[in-house]
Order: sequence, then C-alpha cells, then structure tokens
Amino acid sequence: MRIPCPYCGARDASEFAYLGDATLTRPDPAAPDAADAFHDYVYLRDNPAGAHSEWWYHSGGCRRWLKVTRDTTSHAIAGAELAGGAK
Amino acid sequence: MSRLPSSGLVDRTRPLNFSFDGKNYRGFAGDTLASALLANQVRLVGRSFKYHRPRGILTAGPEEPNALVELRSGARREPNTRATVAELYDGLDATSQNRWPSLALDALSLNGLVAPFLGAGFYYKTFMWPASFWEKLYEPVIRRAAGLGRAAEGEDPDHYEKANAFCDVLVIGAGPAGLMAALAAGRAGARVILADEDFLAGGRLNSDVARIGDEPGPAFAARTVAELASLPNVRIMTRTSVFGVYDGEYGAVERVSDHLATPAPFQPRQLLWKITAKRAILCAGATERPIVFGGNDRPGVMLAGAARSYANRYGVAVGKSVAFFANNDSAWTSAFDLKAAGVNVTTLIDIRREVAPVLAARAKALGIDARTDTQVTGTTGQPIGGGLTGLAIRTAGHGGRIAADTLAMSGGWSPSVHLTCHHGGKPVWRDDIAAFVPGGIPPGMTVAGAARGTYGLGDILAEGARQGGEAAGDLGFAASLPALPPTEETPAGITAFWHVQGSKGPAFVDQQNDVTAKDLGIAFKEGFRAVELMKRYTTLGMATDQGRTSNVNGLAIMAELTGASIMETGTTIFRPPYTPVSLGVLGGHHRGKDFRPTRLTPTHAWAAERGAVFIETGPWLRAQYFPKAGEADWLTTVNREVKAVRASVGLIDVSTFGKIDLQGPDVGAFLDRVYINTFSTLAVGKARYGVMLREDGIVMDDGTTARLGPEHYVMTTTTANAAKVYQHLEFCLQVLWPELDVTLASVSEQWAQIAIAGPRSREVLARVVDAGVDVSNEGLPFMGAVERTVMGGVKARLFRLSFSGELGYEIAVPARQGEALARALMAAGEEFGITPYGIEALGVMRIEKGHVSGNELSGQTSAGDLGFGKMASTKKDYIGRVLAARPGIADPERPCLIGFKPVDPSQRLRAGAHFLKLGAPADMAHDEGYMTSVAHSPHLGHWIGLGLLKNGPQRIGERVRAYDPVRGNDFEVEVCSPGFIDPNGERLRG
Amino acid sequence: MTSALDALPVTQMPPDGHYGPAGKHGVTARIFDPPALATLAARHGAGAALSAAARVELGLDLADAPRLSRANGLTAIGTGPGRWFLLAEAPEDLPAHLAALAPHAAITEQTDAMVGFELSGPHVRDLLAKGVTVDLDPSVFPPGAAATSNVAHINTSFWREPGDERFVFLAGRSYAVAFARFLVASGAAFGLELVHRG
Repeated sequence: MRIPCPYCGARDASEFAYLGDATLTRPDPAAPDAADAFHDYVYLRDNPAGAHSEWWYHSGGCRRWLKVTRDTTSHAIAGAELAGGAK
Repeated sequence: MSRLPSSGLVDRTRPLNFSFDGKNYRGFAGDTLASALLANQVRLVGRSFKYHRPRGILTAGPEEPNALVELRSGARREPNTRATVAELYDGLDATSQNRWPSLALDALSLNGLVAPFLGAGFYYKTFMWPASFWEKLYEPVIRRAAGLGRAAEGEDPDHYEKANAFCDVLVIGAGPAGLMAALAAGRAGARVILADEDFLAGGRLNSDVARIGDEPGPAFAARTVAELASLPNVRIMTRTSVFGVYDGEYGAVERVSDHLATPAPFQPRQLLWKITAKRAILCAGATERPIVFGGNDRPGVMLAGAARSYANRYGVAVGKSVAFFANNDSAWTSAFDLKAAGVNVTTLIDIRREVAPVLAARAKALGIDARTDTQVTGTTGQPIGGGLTGLAIRTAGHGGRIAADTLAMSGGWSPSVHLTCHHGGKPVWRDDIAAFVPGGIPPGMTVAGAARGTYGLGDILAEGARQGGEAAGDLGFAASLPALPPTEETPAGITAFWHVQGSKGPAFVDQQNDVTAKDLGIAFKEGFRAVELMKRYTTLGMATDQGRTSNVNGLAIMAELTGASIMETGTTIFRPPYTPVSLGVLGGHHRGKDFRPTRLTPTHAWAAERGAVFIETGPWLRAQYFPKAGEADWLTTVNREVKAVRASVGLIDVSTFGKIDLQGPDVGAFLDRVYINTFSTLAVGKARYGVMLREDGIVMDDGTTARLGPEHYVMTTTTANAAKVYQHLEFCLQVLWPELDVTLASVSEQWAQIAIAGPRSREVLARVVDAGVDVSNEGLPFMGAVERTVMGGVKARLFRLSFSGELGYEIAVPARQGEALARALMAAGEEFGITPYGIEALGVMRIEKGHVSGNELSGQTSAGDLGFGKMASTKKDYIGRVLAARPGIADPERPCLIGFKPVDPSQRLRAGAHFLKLGAPADMAHDEGYMTSVAHSPHLGHWIGLGLLKNGPQRIGERVRAYDPVRGNDFEVEVCSPGFIDPNGERLRG
Repeated sequence: MTSALDALPVTQMPPDGHYGPAGKHGVTARIFDPPALATLAARHGAGAALSAAARVELGLDLADAPRLSRANGLTAIGTGPGRWFLLAEAPEDLPAHLAALAPHAAITEQTDAMVGFELSGPHVRDLLAKGVTVDLDPSVFPPGAAATSNVAHINTSFWREPGDERFVFLAGRSYAVAFARFLVASGAAFGLELVHRG
C-alpha cells in the first residue's frame, strides 16, 4: 500500500505508523465530565466498514502526522492532508 | 530417444548433460527437465503423496501436480521442484522423491491397499482416536508413507535480494495478449514492465505455432519481443513470476540463477520484486483441465496441450502411440499438431456426439481414428512402473479396448484468474466456455486474452493491444494501436464434462494430494459440501500446485452431487502467492546479523579494543561488560566494575539514549503538558528528571530534560523509547496543540554522551574540560546542565546527573569526538584506576539505588506504582492526568515499587517470581505482585531485587514468599526500602 | 556462500576496495563526513520570513519542498514542511553562519549526526532499486529532487545531484556501517567501488 504524503509524495506504508481515528478531539480536561469524556476518547473507538479518517505518522519521511481518508474495506485511499495545516 | 527430427525451439547445437536418479541423460538448451526426460523416454518420474502410485508428467507448465523432483544436492537440495518449469542446465542433477527403495519398485505403494484409512478427512478422523495411538502408531507410519521431497539440511549457500520497480503499466504474462498490450503501451511511451514466469517469452505462441500474418507464432513472438527490448521505456522480465497483488503493488520473484548449477559470483539466486504499477494488465493465459476417470493418473496420461507443447516447442514425441480424449475442439487441434510434427496419433476420443465437420474431415485426412460419443472408462499399464499400455473405452454403451502408450486428455480450459482474486474478487462462471472468468478485479487492473476467457488468437491479440493502448491513454500517453495481422483461427467449441461415470479404478481429481472422485463422494455424504469445507476435508487443491488442474473438476463434481449449479457452488478463494515463493527470497539480504540494521555507538571501536562483550539492546550493540584476563565469569567482572565505580570512578557510553532538541517560546509550557511534573520553572543551566504518561494514565517514559537557554531545552529519553517519544511529542504539537510555537529536532545521532561516575569523577572531569571551565560543586551543582568546551575547544554539554547513585556527570560531545573523549577520560582517570563499565554494572547500580528502568516501565505501571505520585503536579493538566485518576489506576492496593532481599542471603533472586503472603496458597487469587529486576549487589554481598508489591511501601520489614514455579524457586524474601545504597543521596550532591 | 557480506563483520565499516566480480565497475560509492550540517526548522508562522531572510542574507532559495537548492556554497535539502538540512562545503560553525535566520527558525547543529554516501556509476539506480522504495526514474526524480525515506530499514535523506547521474545519501552515524553493508550487499553484483573521502 502506498500513502500519498502531501509533502513527500506517495510512499510505502511501511514508512508510516498508524494511530487510528482522526475525528476525535482531546476532551477538555477541566470539564466536569472529563473522566467519562477521556474514557470515551481513549477506549471507545468506532471501527467503520468503509471510509475512515485516521492518523498516520510519516516516521520514515517528513515526520508529519497525516490525516488519511482510507476505505477500511478496500484500502483505497481517498486523500491525505497534513495535521495542523501548513506551518 | 523420442526427440522429433526437426520441430521445436530447443537449440540442438547446445547439448546439455543431466542426471535423474543417478542415471545420465542428454537434453538441449531450451529444454525443461520434463521435456528432456520425455525426450529420453523417462515417463515415470515420481510417486504420489499418499498412495505412492507411480506418476509421470501431466503438464508442460507451472500447474504440474505430479512431476515434482528434488533438484540439486547437498545444501542446495530443493524439494518439490516442478520438472515442467525447471530449466535444463548442464550438470543438472535431479532425484525422484517419496519412493523407497526405488522409483520403479516402491515398497510403500502398498499404501494403495490401505487407502481406506487415508481417504477424505483422514487427518481429522485419525485425530479422533486415542492420542497415544496417534503419537506412537499413526503419525510415524503416515510420516514415513506420505510426503513430498526432503528439505536441504545445510544452510542455504546462496543469497537472495529484494528490489523495487516502478512503472506505468505492468503486463503480467508475455503470451499473445501480453505482447500486444506491452507493445501498445510501450510504443505510446508509457513505462512498461512485461513479466513472464517462463524463460522464453511468447506463451502459447511457442506451443501452438499458429500462424500470425505471414509468420509462425514463435517467429512473431520473437520479433515482437525484439521490438519491445529496443524500447528504452520497456523492461522485459522473463523467469519472473508475479505472485500477488497488494493494493497497487505487485509481488514478483525473478529466478535470476535457478537455471544455473550455481549462481554466478555475487549474483543472487532469486530476487524479490515489489512492483508499483499505475495499471496492470493480466495476461496470464489459461490452464487445461484433465478429465476424471479410472486410472487417469498413470504415467503416459497427460494433458493434450502439454503433448502439443512437447511436440511444437521442445521437439519431443510424448509417446509411440498416442490417443486423445476430450470434450472440446482444442484437443483436436493439438492432435493434428502432433501428427504434423511426426508423432503417431492413433485415436481421437470425444465425449460429444458431434464435432465440427472441419475437425472430423481433418482427422480423417490425417488418418486419425476419431470416435465421438465415446468415453475412456479405464486404463491398463505395465506391471513395473505402471506406464500406460491401453485404454478401456465405451462408445454409446458398448465397450472396447485401444492400445496406447500415451493418452492426451482435455477437459477444457480454466482462465488463470488467480491474481484477480487477491483483493477479494470472486470469479464468475460462464456456461458457454465452461469456465470461470474474472469477477471483481483489483483497482487498476484489467484482464486480457485467455485469462479473461477469450480464446480466439485474433481476439486475444486485439484485446491485448486495446487494453495496452487504453492503459497508456488513461495515463496521458497518446497511443496508436499496433496493426493486427490476420491470424489462423481454430474452433473452440466445448461441452462441459467432468468425469466418466462407472469407470474402473481410482479416478483422480487432484493428483498432487491423491484426492479421488470417491473422496468427494465421502465428503458429500459426511456433509462437507461447501467448497471451502470440501477443500479442507479432502485436501483438494492444496500444496504446491494449489489445485490448478483440480479445483474446477472438484467443485463441478461436488455441484453434480449437490444438484447445485457450478456458479452456486462457487470456487475456493485464490490467495497470494500464485506460485510457491521461497522464504529466503522474502528475507533478501536481511538475514543473520543483517536481519535488521545494527546501530553502533560512537565508542564501539574503543570498547572492542578493550575487550568488551557486547549485547544487543534493540538495534544497538552496547558494551555489556569489560572482562579482564583471569576473571572467572561475568559476575566477577561486573562486581569489579561496580566496586570500582563506587570506590573511585568509572565510565560508560550512554549515547544510545534518545536526545531531542526543543526550541521555541512555548517549550516550557509544552513540557508541562507532556510531563507529570513542571519544567517551565526550570532554571536555565539546570536539568530535571521527568516522567511522562500515555493518555491512559500509564507511564510512557522517563528521563532528564535540561534547559540550555530561555527557549532551548534538550530532552533525553530511554534508549528503547526514543522513536516512540519523538512521535508522541510530534503528535502533541501537530495534532493536539498546533498553537504552541515549538520545534523539535532529534539530536540522538549528533551527540556522543559518556557518563562518568564515582567519588573521583569530578577530578577526572576537571582534567578534560578546557581552562576556565568550573566543575566545582558550586560551578556545576547537582542537576546542573551547561554548554562548555573540552579537550581543547570541542563543544560539549556537561550534565551533572547520576543513574548509579554516585557523584556523576554526563559529557556530550559531537559524535565524531566520542571516541577521543573516552580515551581522554581514560587518560585523565588513570591515576584513579578509572574503570570502563558496561550496562550490566549500570543495571546493578541502578537497582542498588532503586531507580526504575525498562522492566518497571512495562506499559502496565502508573506513576504512583513507581513511587512518582508526589512528583505529579496538581496545578496543571498533562497527558494522562485525567485517566491516571481512575479508580483502577489510583487504587492504593495496586502493586507498588519496593525493594527485596533474601532472608537467606545465599539465595539468588529471580525476576519474574510472584509474591504471596506467607502461608497463602500459590494461586492467582492470592498473587500480590512480582519481582521486576534483580542484581547481585557487591556492596551488600547478596542478591537484591526491585518489585511491585501490593501496598509495598507500607510493608517494609515484612517477609513474603517469592514463588517462581517456572524455575522451581520458592523462598522467603524481606520487603525493604528500594534505596539499598545511600538512601539520602549524599553521594550525588557531594 | 556467495554474498559479499559474508566476510565482513557487522561492527566495522567495510574497507575501501572493489566488491564484486573483477572488471565490473557498476557503482562507485564515496563515503564522506559532511563538512558542516545543520537542521533548519521554520518557527510558527515564520515560513515566509525565513524564505525572505534566506534569499536576502544567503542568496538561497529555500524551496518548501523535497528539493535541493544551492547557492554560495550552501545546499538546502527539504526534509519536511518548513524543514531543511543545510550543508556547507567548508567546515564552519554553521549555526553561527546562519545567525541571520535565527529569528525565524530553530537551527540545530548536526554536522556529526550524519554520514554521507555519494553514489555514481552506470548501475547506480539498479543498486538503489534494492533498497529505495521511491521511484528514481529521471521523469519522476529529476536532478535536484530530494527525499527522506527508509532504505533497507535505515532512515535516510537523499537527493539527485544536478548534472551527471549522481545521488547523495545522508544516514545517521550509528547506521553508517549498516548502510555501507546495504551498498555492498546490493552493489556487488554490479561491481562496487567503495572509497572513503574526507
């Protein structure tokens, strides 16, 4: 599988580390329900069959985190963007 | 000899000597082992897997189930090599397998008599019997009786490599479709790779020899290949099998040296290619099917197309009197070709009532006895070796006999759809051609030619050209299709037919696994009817040939039994690899010490010079200890090293720690969010020990981080977690808090870092720093971190840190100066007997001091478990804070870090021992934790340990049981403070 | 055993010399220590200011892309968004030399961190195909193109020099022997000349 890194170009998947769901936001640690919210954030992950937005770290290349849209049923990658936008 | 006088593509000017079962023969360049054996009238080449039945050569290609041999000898012996694809070379040496004492007289062919025991599902049924029967009786007998070749016993003397290739269009198969596809895409300017597993490109053109335009097939193929070879954007890879489709990438094995006795110097035996292709065109052709009837496995029974290949391509007559048995027109053409090449074709038996008049007329003209509405119901053979002597036939209910030493059969053709299934595609049945054709095809792939069920030569050429042009066009190349020459077309009619009812003797479906039509009946009766179950129950379609010649027949017979259609019955799933791939080639040069890259410390050569023993820690090689002459064992050495440090001074390379440079106005704030403790308040010129958690509240890593300037910090991580921590920090900066202005740079490779420790370490340091550098207790206090120069102007970072518990420093210099620094420190410390020490001694000293390391940072421990609870700031948020407060993590009953010593000081502690209250039973319910690290303390004169014990810190002085059933230890230990040495840290600060 | 690696310990840099069949000269590998090397990382939102400063102060066009730019003895190699390796031809204190960029970038001394491998010869791409998973065809990876990528499990940054077919790889110093072993393992079939320079 090749992942289209916006900076480096298409690269072998072995250069990337996988983290998972990129739609999650780290909860507000000061909120009253922080304990529950963090529990959900860390442990309760969706596992959709189909398009999935997920974090991949280009450890072997530009060392940027990428938000990759991948179809979990076919591995087809619809696109990838850099985390945090351009710096 | 049964070499035909003139036909064939073998080079008769280049004779090659070879041997089979110790007997010498001669073939020609361009032969396979199979064609050369047939040319020498060797027809019995192996014994079958279970029943030791005599077997010959069934096919002329990679689908061969029978003619498996051991190729080469000694450490290069290669079992289960298909003689039909083994390219002949001078000196080739092959041996038949699975026979004893000899191929012709096999004692174990009696297996046939016990066939009922080895029938469908025998593995499962046998396992049902008492275990002792299996171990003592059945397994040894079956192992002896059933099997294929023997693996080489020595280490493979050859080497293997891996490589990557990129192209616009990958054409898989260099037959008529593939050649035209490559030509169309190549002429358009696309980067093309044309791969074929054969050593000669051309595919069926070399075997069918039908005319294309004004030239014979082989000449057309050769001319097209020559044009392709002249195009700089086309790469032709023969002897290369594309074996798998992996999300736009294709796995292929190039057999670089398999056609040579030994590889040329420095050449690999095989090369594994990973081909990244924007488009792929599968032109893998089709495989002929046998017909299932009694005695269809005798030497002398083969596929019709194979007989044709042997005649046309290899110039070999497969027999002296050849009969054909078929349900389709292609076999008739094969028979005519054999006749034209001078082979004695006597009879053409076809199950159909009628055939195309043109075929009947041609048979008549050639003097072939054509019998329609006829089936072969049995075979007779020689008493020794089993070679075919005659056929029993049945014409419209009337029996008869025909003498023949060869039967060429054809049940039709199965498109080679395998690679189309590697993304989960399911083939679709086509009644009109009685074959499965590709269903769902991997993205980027198209299929052309016989692999798609297109059998007419002109259609195949057109389809290949069109798809090659379209692929190039899709990629932006202007393609003009190659001219399509007129072709000689032959009829391709077929009537589906699978097996002869009521034939005599075992009727083999899968010759490689000895699966018969009767076995399928048993599977049906016992309920194993779904194809995937049938496959596993009967073993049909397993092993090296993966059922190339048997799958469709097997499932068609099952479909007949169940009354379902073939489409409803479906096929088993084809998975990679398409063809057997050696494990060696998957490893490439990454074997032995090169399994993964070895990282060397800046002082490696120096340590080696001093006789260090090295140990792998992750990818690194680190000095474990430095034995001196006369030291009896490693413990003696380590004790000496520890004592030397505690009494005077020692040094160790700690360059393997991860080192991360952090710059920017927000570094302090950032570190506060990733460490449990506070770094924003750290003074410039000071370092602090920090602990970071994962978001789930478990400790991720620890280390010291120093502030070198207002906006400049340098972090150290453990050796093991260097990459993980860097990745985590980048996640925090890029994803969680992109507003923070912090940049990271790994400086692990830039700095060599050497720790010196012991009461004399300050004096040693003072001798290597440049004039004016103050290393006094005031100038460089405990946890000081400064940038200075050493050894006459070498930039250095001086840290006053200690892992050993002694007065200690870490000195970082640019990596190329690391070795010089080690030597300078040795010279400076000579007067104090400075002692190099390894990571064993470092481990002893950190355990004596109660410091945690990898064994305690196990991914299961919280900060509280390790005694860092009080370090955690309550004034800020940090990664892991919220979930570390969960009841399960904050539970005071959790096992916590504490020290242990044996009640009997002569006892050796072992890491991994579990703690139990005295008198408590040894079960999980009473488990109170376990020992994480142990060491022999030369300072105390006995073994000491660190461990995680329930309520540990409250139980100092209590005795508990250290229970280690794995190593048979069970004795009492006393809970004690983990600070075995200098618990108040006076040495550090002195 | 036919692998050229067999006689070479994993703990020592393979010695200078010829690896492979006598008379075959497919690839030359020159191993060198970069005279001066630093990483440059644009500060938050300072990418444009950094580019402008590099142009004005150093005459260097800092392309924010995996490419080589070179001027006045300085070579910049894009390694990530807003990140570059900067190499100087002469040994010098690069961070001091780059002081003019400091307001806009984090500058980190890396001269000792990397070992350079300059590869040339008629079979250089054949050798590299055995480890590089990036397409090096000139139509895709023309002179001046750069990449950071794992090669035979070793992280490297590399580029294609302008002019004749020549590639330069930077590998971490602790991996230098491992990278040289990759070159020997993959290059011996074509004939490899290994030379240490500087």
